[in-house]
Amino acid sequence: MKAGAKTSLRMMAAASRGIRSLVTESKDPPASKISANDNSIITSGLSKAYEKLKAVDSLTLAVDSGDIFGFLGPNGAGKTTTIRMLCGLIPPSAGTARVAGFDIIRESMKIRSVIGLLPESSGFYNWMNAQEYLFHFALLYKIEPSVARNRAMCLLEKVGLAEKAYVPISYYSRGMRQRLGLARALINEPRIIFLDEPTLGLDPSGQEEIRKFLLELNREKGVTVFLSSHALGEVSSLCNKIAIIDHGQLVAKGNVDELRAQAGVSHTIVVRVVNTAAARLQLLNMPSRGKISEQGSLISVTFSEGSQGPSDYYKDFEYMIKQGLQVYDIQRPDTSLEEVFFKFTRPRNVSSDAEKNGGVR
Amino acid sequence: MPLQLYKSEISGNFYSLRGTSWIVAASLIFSLVAYLLLTDKELSLLDQGEMLFTLSEIVISLGTVMAVTSASSTISTEIESKTFESLLLTPTSSRQIAFQKLLSITTTWFFLYVIAIPYLLAVSNGTNLSLSSILYVGIYGTLLVVGFSAISIALSAKLKSSKNSVMVALMILLIMLAPSIFFATSLKKTSFGMAIENINPVSHAMNSLDSILVDNQQSLFEQASHLFRVTIFAVICLAILTYISRRFEVSPVV
Repeated sequence: MKAGAKTSLRMMAAASRGIRSLVTESKDPPASKISANDNSIITSGLSKAYEKLKAVDSLTLAVDSGDIFGFLGPNGAGKTTTIRMLCGLIPPSAGTARVAGFDIIRESMKIRSVIGLLPESSGFYNWMNAQEYLFHFALLYKIEPSVARNRAMCLLEKVGLAEKAYVPISYYSRGMRQRLGLARALINEPRIIFLDEPTLGLDPSGQEEIRKFLLELNREKGVTVFLSSHALGEVSSLCNKIAIIDHGQLVAKGNVDELRAQAGVSHTIVVRVVNTAAARLQLLNMPSRGKISEQGSLISVTFSEGSQGPSDYYKDFEYMIKQGLQVYDIQRPDTSLEEVFFKFTRPRNVSSDAEKNGGVR
Repeated sequence: MPLQLYKSEISGNFYSLRGTSWIVAASLIFSLVAYLLLTDKELSLLDQGEMLFTLSEIVISLGTVMAVTSASSTISTEIESKTFESLLLTPTSSRQIAFQKLLSITTTWFFLYVIAIPYLLAVSNGTNLSLSSILYVGIYGTLLVVGFSAISIALSAKLKSSKNSVMVALMILLIMLAPSIFFATSLKKTSFGMAIENINPVSHAMNSLDSILVDNQQSLFEQASHLFRVTIFAVICLAILTYISRRFEVSPVV
């Protein structure tokens, strides 16, 4: 086999391994699951109504200790209301929930000690600097001043704000405020952290840093992460379980593959090869099911995952290598969760919904 | 830290430029009033007790207006600037939040009162009213500030809008201040005027100060009835705040 062909085979194997590792990673329980702490979230028939509007309607969920749980839904689906109920900020109209083993109605003060929340849009005391701000919150959590001071600086380093620790918050950009909000959510070393659009306003490297930081928190400290985000790529790469709600109701739950199966959406892999007459001819004789399309100097072959998983298109990969096709690149377009999302959520007119419901934002 | 919120409020009130500007403004007002009382041809003809009463009235009114303005926006500002959610997430109960804010406003009043003491001493110089004026301005000022601030904080939490809560709180204060400031003596003597005076804590405080400083009735026994009613007002206001602050909630978002 030629060196180029070997490289191509390695690339293809890596691509399919990537898919398998995604699947297996999502099924393996994280190391933190063996933790003795109960970091779980359980809701049963949780509902919240504002006069005639049902913001959340009989939501039943189970998030295990150490999960990174993705919570998806269109605007106005009830995500923020659910998070606020779980954090003990608003009482439910009906149903029950337990967060870290505590009842959200009777033990909301205990819940507040063990959770952290980064709201979608958070306010700050602009006259303080970041260090003072975190120190202030640490003291509100009844943390010893010496510990609080160290923890504040440590968190500022983690979120990349150490250099700006003494700059007044009023000078901070949107992204810097988001990082500071995350640091505040972690100041009490929470067992469960609720994040509402945590990477909103961050630059790409900032988004990557925050994702790494969350994974580190989850793996090393066993923190359960409840992540509400519209960045579906972020959710599919981070979360081992996902729930989708729409109009306040749970419409789907499971890991990415389970959701994909429920929605009838399959994985796709796109192999692009250099467009030559020989390549076109050889691809026409390909044994199975790749969908071929020409794109200038390249030919795209799109494979959809069938019931057998990635093994469905191994034969095609082998065929392409054996025929000596020049593979330009291999892609796994990350659109599948988007497709799943659209399948499960009904289109809505947010403004008319709000008007109908008496102007509740 | 049980009083962390109180400490942070106090540092916000005293260490910032915005926070300290009121101290300068209050000092200027007291200086101007004291100067006019002592040097103005017309005003200096007043009896010294009346001068002292006028200054005491101004100290208490200014303190109450400042307390009401500050208290009526204390929670709504946090809601509007979206800092309230993070505050409610800490293991500090709604009641602790409300009462620590009340304590910080009362502390601010206390500073204003301390600033006023030299002016009270200057205007009462040469009379036996110095101690009484300091004592009764302190007592009535504190009771009125606590009462009005408690009501204003409750309004701020309920209305969730600074504009509305400041407006409503100032309106209540104005209605209470109106009889003692705007009612003519003849109106006060009508049955309507008397009824208003009877239930109005500000009128009780002002009438009490009047009888102490102008009529020289300085003993606590003579002022017991007024003191009792103003105290009842403060207690009722505190009870209202206690009830309202049993659970604060953030504004609904779906």
